[in-house]
Amino acid sequence: MKILFFTGKGGVGKSTMAAAAAWQLSQKSRVLIVSLDPAHNLGDIFGVVIKNGKKKFTKTLFLSEINLKKLSREYLERETDVLSSTYSYLKTLNLDSYFSILKYSPGIEEYALLTSIEKTIRDEAGFDYIIFDTPPTGLTLRFLALPKVTITWIDRLTQIRRQILEKRYTIHRIRGTLSSEKTILDYKEADDDILKRLKKLSDNYHALDGALRGSDCHVVVVFNPDILSLKESKRLIEGLSDLGLPLRLLIDNKVTEANKEMAEYVEKQMKGMAQDVPLERIHLAKTLLDGREGALYDIRESIIPDSW
Amino acid sequence: MGLLEFFKRILSDFDASHRESAAALTGVEVKELENIFALLLLGSFIGLPSPPSFLAVELMPFMERELKVLNRRAKDAGDMLAEMAGTIGID
Repeated sequence: MKILFFTGKGGVGKSTMAAAAAWQLSQKSRVLIVSLDPAHNLGDIFGVVIKNGKKKFTKTLFLSEINLKKLSREYLERETDVLSSTYSYLKTLNLDSYFSILKYSPGIEEYALLTSIEKTIRDEAGFDYIIFDTPPTGLTLRFLALPKVTITWIDRLTQIRRQILEKRYTIHRIRGTLSSEKTILDYKEADDDILKRLKKLSDNYHALDGALRGSDCHVVVVFNPDILSLKESKRLIEGLSDLGLPLRLLIDNKVTEANKEMAEYVEKQMKGMAQDVPLERIHLAKTLLDGREGALYDIRESIIPDSW
Repeated sequence: MGLLEFFKRILSDFDASHRESAAALTGVEVKELENIFALLLLGSFIGLPSPPSFLAVELMPFMERELKVLNRRAKDAGDMLAEMAGTIGID
């Protein structure tokens, strides 16, 4: 299974390009396209209404829109329920509602997003390609950084936990059979609940991190021939390289005769930042410029390299 | 109790006491580490940079002992020097 992320500044045409790529790939393989953008327009692009999150468009093409707000809310409701049931006595004082403040915890939206990506990759392994149409740059970079940040924390905490267990073991050995202590604390790694939980989390995140950094993950950066888009794309490429995520394709979208010079300048700058990455140029359709009805873009049959 | 038993008992108590004093310092180290572990995970309470909040939520159910240690350490924090001196054995 291959994973594609379409990223870029808001409004550059990520969703359209992702949809075109999905359509192209679905001619030969089974494809799922997932929109993570809070402003969904996948349904509009394909001219269908996506109900309950997922829709079969053709035999080989499935569309999915993920409701980020709903997802964060569900995650928090779950956590709040656990807390409220633990502290159920607060209900008698009518204080349990105060836990609802949790929904303003920072980082929850990214976590919900990451969880949904992880779940999609895990549950939808039957597809040959999963294409993610991502939300604007800032949020995308933050959630793509999350596995690495989390792994760092998990590793550090695991290290400390191991030291604790080692020292407990030392004490256990020194005291020997003469120990007067009534409860002996866990000192074996296999018995320690915290270490077990940390290991489980670590495994999950390493799997996700591996999937994101592996050769089956492709990040596509979509940009427009203008300076704002160039600047944000530069930041995005820097961010991706900091995170070690594989940038595999650049798409210069909405090129016309009028902005051709700017397009060339922007493309040159982008190529300068990512030398070996292929670049695809997509023109705005002439019919649109003439004010006639027709396709929005001149998208070739294959914008995705055959080798993917 | 026979004389032999008596001496055995003395030796064994002697052994136990030595073992206890050897284990004591490591015991303090363990408690400090447990304290640090809890503090790192819940550091945002006192303004430390904390791990992603969901990590704390995931581990919380297993943290009873660490939280108790953290609590006790916080109470004793006012006289930490005396605490340390007591541990090392300075009067």
